[in-house]
Amino acid sequence: MNDDTYISLAHGNGGRFMRELIESVFQRHLGNPALDVQADAVRLQLGDAHCLFTTDGFTVQPLEFPGGDIGSLAVHGTTNDLAVAGAEPKYLSLNAFIEEGLELALLDRLIASLAAAARDIGVQVVAGDTKVLRRGEGGGLYLATTGIGLALPGPVLGLDRIRPGDAVLVSGPVGDHGIAVMLAREQFGLRGDLRSDAASVLPLTRAARDLDGLRFMRDPTRGGLASVCHEISRATGLGVRLREAALPVRDPVRSVCEMLGYDPLYLACEGRVVAVVAPAQAEALLARWQALPEGSEACLIGTLEAGADRVLLETGIGGERLLEELEDDPLPRIC
Amino acid sequence: MTLRWLLTGRVQGVGFRPFVYRLAREHGIHGWVRNRSGQVEILGQGRTDRLDRFERALTDAAPPTAAPHIAEREVLAWQQLEDFRIETSQAGDRPWIQVPPDHFACPDCLAEVRDPTDRRYRYPFNNCTQCGPRYTLIRALPYDRPNTTLSGFVMCPACATEYRDPGDRRFHAEPIACPDCGPWLSYRPDTAPAPAAEGEAAVEAAAAALRAGEILAVKGIGGYHLMCAADNTDAIERLRARKPRPHKPLAVLFPDEVSLLRREVNCSEAELACLRSAQRPILLLPRTPAPSLPESLAPGLGELGVMLPCSPLHALLLQAAGGPLVATSGNLSGEPVLTDNAEADARLSDVVDGFLHHNRPIQRPADDSVLRPIAGAVRPLRLGRGSAPLELELETGVPEPLLAVGAHMKNTLALAWDRRLIVSPHIGDMGSRRSLEVFRQLVEDFQALHGVRATRLLCDAHPDYTTHRWARESGLPVTPVFHHHAHASALCGEHGIDEPCLIFTWDGTGYGADGGLWGGEALYGRPGHWRHLARLRPFRLPGGDRAGREPWRAAAALCWENGLDYTPPVTEPSLLRAAWQRGLNSPATSAAGRLFDAAASLIGLLQTASYEGQGPMLLEQAAAGCAGEALVLPLLTEAPPWQLDWTPLLAHLRDGRLPVAQRAADFHASLAGAIRDTARRTAADHAFTRVGLTGGVFQNRLLTELAQSRLQAAGFEVLLCRQLPCNDAGISAGQVYEHLGGQRGED
Ligand SMILES: [Fe+3]
Ligand SMILES: [Mg+2]
Ligand SMILES: [Zn+2]
Ligand SMILES: [Zn+2]
Repeated sequence: MNDDTYISLAHGNGGRFMRELIESVFQRHLGNPALDVQADAVRLQLGDAHCLFTTDGFTVQPLEFPGGDIGSLAVHGTTNDLAVAGAEPKYLSLNAFIEEGLELALLDRLIASLAAAARDIGVQVVAGDTKVLRRGEGGGLYLATTGIGLALPGPVLGLDRIRPGDAVLVSGPVGDHGIAVMLAREQFGLRGDLRSDAASVLPLTRAARDLDGLRFMRDPTRGGLASVCHEISRATGLGVRLREAALPVRDPVRSVCEMLGYDPLYLACEGRVVAVVAPAQAEALLARWQALPEGSEACLIGTLEAGADRVLLETGIGGERLLEELEDDPLPRIC
Repeated sequence: MTLRWLLTGRVQGVGFRPFVYRLAREHGIHGWVRNRSGQVEILGQGRTDRLDRFERALTDAAPPTAAPHIAEREVLAWQQLEDFRIETSQAGDRPWIQVPPDHFACPDCLAEVRDPTDRRYRYPFNNCTQCGPRYTLIRALPYDRPNTTLSGFVMCPACATEYRDPGDRRFHAEPIACPDCGPWLSYRPDTAPAPAAEGEAAVEAAAAALRAGEILAVKGIGGYHLMCAADNTDAIERLRARKPRPHKPLAVLFPDEVSLLRREVNCSEAELACLRSAQRPILLLPRTPAPSLPESLAPGLGELGVMLPCSPLHALLLQAAGGPLVATSGNLSGEPVLTDNAEADARLSDVVDGFLHHNRPIQRPADDSVLRPIAGAVRPLRLGRGSAPLELELETGVPEPLLAVGAHMKNTLALAWDRRLIVSPHIGDMGSRRSLEVFRQLVEDFQALHGVRATRLLCDAHPDYTTHRWARESGLPVTPVFHHHAHASALCGEHGIDEPCLIFTWDGTGYGADGGLWGGEALYGRPGHWRHLARLRPFRLPGGDRAGREPWRAAAALCWENGLDYTPPVTEPSLLRAAWQRGLNSPATSAAGRLFDAAASLIGLLQTASYEGQGPMLLEQAAAGCAGEALVLPLLTEAPPWQLDWTPLLAHLRDGRLPVAQRAADFHASLAGAIRDTARRTAADHAFTRVGLTGGVFQNRLLTELAQSRLQAAGFEVLLCRQLPCNDAGISAGQVYEHLGGQRGED
């Protein structure tokens, strides 16, 4: 049961509890004109340069999982936040919180992976700090990265740019990361067909950046695609209408979800982009994405509508299911 | 002598003032009658004996849909009065305080429809002050024609004359209509862009299509029905495939002349009277040994939902079609029934071959009411057209107007103020856009029509219920009510009981007072003051919500909890088992509904359900005609709440050597016995004589009747739902009773 006296795990799942925690504690104390708790990255003017600035912490368990590890994730997570804000990432800082007892060879592998990921997308780690935590006080390794990037030319992006009738696209299948990490964490055994989608989204955001009519981009991490749609709906007062038949979900992900009772729309991705674009440019963006290996399975999945303030899923048989904001782990509602 | 009466009850919108007017003329009384704040005030002057007879007739001879009650009577000083008048309502009054449900045509109106010389011969929308639709056509206050969905129809001179004549039975019949000025029908084949026939020809065209095996959407009183010939196996199969609704029972509409109905179902005189009442509900009745309609109407079940025409339109269509018709809600599963012509056109196009529309708008949906005879009475399973809004009188006044938003499935809402409690018709399952829209509309309409604004909301404590979130976002003060407390309080509330009793609240799942998922509880106390004395032994459901549609998951849970082997029907059984062991999406619950699912699955009746309640319904049917023997279920009393252990049932249910019927019957008998045993054990420590049975599980007739007789034999008085459904449709009213009980404080 959640009460408001203590922090619970639900305060970190990307849903309503976390949003309310941020609003009631962090924003209340830290509020200033530049702080935007809704944005992935904040736009700063430093001299003549328009910079984007962001930070992220990484606590994934296990540290290595099919398709990625905490090292590469620490690069992709932060640079993806810069990328979807319309920036070209330049520099990263790195904080490592290492738990006493971590095998050095594993640490070496993870940091090598981090370095390779940074190299691949052309960012440099230019500052850092290392702390060692007593045994039992950390999950082996926690990483935090802060990133700075340069704003690329193109239309101004933001939730406030979104208009009724705009199209919603996703760059590829959803839920792979969430399922792959969960299966790895619970040591259900390796499954060749289930890998995290963790990757840099820079090729996707670069391809989209200069498209007129591009309104907003976001990477659907914690809380998944449904939570991004809630954020959009909440910020714009518009309804988001998704078509179930159009949503890309890989068969192995779907089958594990059905078996365990999870909804892939609420599962984290680490290498996907959700974009909102003017209806006239939707096909153009789809074509640009589909031309890339990272976006070959991109889909047009829905539209923004006026006169509604809910996230709706049009189901196959003509139904319109409400997608509620994520709370805690879902509790059964069938009476 | 001059007398003044104040009448309360259902006295407005039911032709009560014209009735008083005629009565006064008949008895030679002078004076007047007028509406006053939802009541009717009468001034009568005349000889004492005449006034006496007049007063008696006010209640005894009242129109069938009226329910008057003399609240005040006083003798006034003599004043000179010339005649008897109907006075206009007082300015500033709230003249439309009671919103009557939609009723079937009265005998006078039916006679006109059948009379070839009458100007309303075969007119499907005939009505008068004492009959016809109300709830579904009132738009706003006050109840005048411009505020109804008839506002677009200009009365012809003949109708206008009737409407203005105080002596006419259509005096101020707001939905008054005739073929010259009222709504009309149109028939459009799904493939045609425009109507192919209108008026009477539309009925003929629709009937011809039905006879040819087509599936139609037919607009009625509170929404659309999907119809096809009830004797056409092919058409039924197509309807099932298209909706899609592979197994869920379909209701059948029979003509008023009941010989056909009697061939299909066993029906007592009392049940027949219920079918024939102005409410015109669906009644679930046992099928006869050799029915002529196909089994596929209700596959695997021994009962059929039957109803009689609820409007002249339905009677005319039945007559033209020449036989009983399937009449199932025109909606998607769990959503409110469709009411709008264009929306029906758009959303039912893939399901039907044609549309029988009419052009009287439906202001808000009212699905058919559903009742089932259980333990000697016809009990509601769904409040709907004809039965809702349902008004209940509260024992004490409500300190502030309350709006109770109910639960999640089969939801209703309830408004309470003064000493009044009004429950809405069935809305639907709250997970869809349309349910939420109808819910929001009803929230507004219920308050506006009754002239009250709630200052507090009551909602279910489940944080993920759409209604809970809606309440939280409303900005009004919210009091959450635990699901099973609401179930228990609904039962006590409608019986007006405030002394301690033991209530078994058995259902699917609900958010419990300990943050867990309850569903097989025994609560002791009274509204607002419940103690959790006993429960079914909890088990962890692999896959959470999915278990509601996949009874095998409950079977897996029971087996795994007891260390027994069970291979679930999935591609990777070991993965699911491992997830269950680690507690991934496997919440613990004491859900009695899932226990029934597990039993149905273990016996082999079904592994996945295509509609809610399919497992328990098949299980009940499987036990039919077999005398069950009870296994004793241990009551584990180490710590409160005591746990009723279902373990002995497991081996029995899995024993393939025993006949299916035996296992199903023994299962019911065991649970009925366990209920009695639990009541006995708790009665040793607590003073009560009344035991209540509520929650959706007690829609099960067999279980309810067995438990009732066991409890009665043990000396308990048994409480069962009468006016409120025992399922979640009763939660909204229960939230009100629970809240009010809590405010009365501890004794
Ligand atoms: Fe319930
Ligand atoms: Mg971030
Ligand atoms: Zn009538
Ligand atoms: Zn007329």
